[in-house]
Amino acid sequence: MLDNLNFKSIPTHMDFDGQRRAEKIFQTIILVFGIVGFIGGYIYQQFSYTVYILGAGFVLSCLLTLPPWPMYRREPLPWQKPQIENVESTQKSKKKTK
Amino acid sequence: MNTLLSRANAIFAFTLSVLAGLTFCCFVSTAFNEYKTNVTLKTVKAVVKNVPDYSASREKNDLGFLTYDLQADLRSLFNWNVKQLFIYMTAEYVSGNNVLNQVVLWDKIIRRGDEAKIDYRNVNPKYYFWDDGNGLRGNKNITLTLSWNVIPNAGSLPNVFGTGSHSFSFPAEYTTSRVM
Repeated sequence: MLDNLNFKSIPTHMDFDGQRRAEKIFQTIILVFGIVGFIGGYIYQQFSYTVYILGAGFVLSCLLTLPPWPMYRREPLPWQKPQIENVESTQKSKKKTK
Repeated sequence: MNTLLSRANAIFAFTLSVLAGLTFCCFVSTAFNEYKTNVTLKTVKAVVKNVPDYSASREKNDLGFLTYDLQADLRSLFNWNVKQLFIYMTAEYVSGNNVLNQVVLWDKIIRRGDEAKIDYRNVNPKYYFWDDGNGLRGNKNITLTLSWNVIPNAGSLPNVFGTGSHSFSFPAEYTTSRVM
C-alpha cells in the first residue's frame, strides 16, 4: 500500500506570500506572549512567569509556522505556460515510456 | 524562511531577542530602587580578652566577645529582580595600628521566599572578632552596621548599608575568666 503513495506529490513548500505571513505570524505571537508575560510577571513579581509565558509563545508559534501548512500555499506563483520545444517533448516522451 | 530549519532558526533567534529585551525591561523596572531599610542593633554584653592568635602570628592580640540583638525587616527589599540577599554585620573602629578597621562578625544568605524578617536576641557573632594588636581594649567607639548585597536576575549588584547602626565600647580591662 505504501508503494502506491507518491511522497513526492505531497507539497512541502511555502509560497513567497506564505513565508511572509509565517514570519509575521510568529513575530506577532512571540511579541504578544512576551508583553503579556512581562505584565503577568510584574503583577506576580515573578520573572520566571515571564520566561514561561514567552516559552509558551515559542511553542505555539513553532506549531503554527514550522510545518508548511496548506494555508501558506494559497498564492502560487503565476508561472508562464511551458513553451513547447523539441527537447522537452523528447523528455516527456521519455517519461511516458518509463 | 523557505525551509523548516530556517524557520526554526528564525523563531528561536527572535524568541531569544525578545527574552533579552524583557530581561532588560525587568532590570529597568528595578534599577531605581533604593533597597534601604531600618535596622535595630544593640549590644547586650561586650568583653575583651588578650589571647594568642594561633591562626595568624601567635602573638597575643585582642579578641572581642559580644552578644547582640538584631532586628531587621528585609521583606520590602525583595522584588522580581532579586534572587537573594547576602547580609553581613561589620564592626568598624579606629585603632592605634590602623585608621580604619572593618571586621565582618556575622553573615547570612536570605533567598527569596525565605523568612526575611530577622529578630535575633542575645546571640553571639558567627566569626571571631580579632584585632591585629591591642586596639579593642578600652575602645570607646566601635560601630556595628548591617549591610547587604542584592543579587539580582539582571543588573547591577548594589552594596547597601542599612540605616541604624549602633556604637558601643569595650571595657578598659581584659577579662581573664572563661566567657560565654
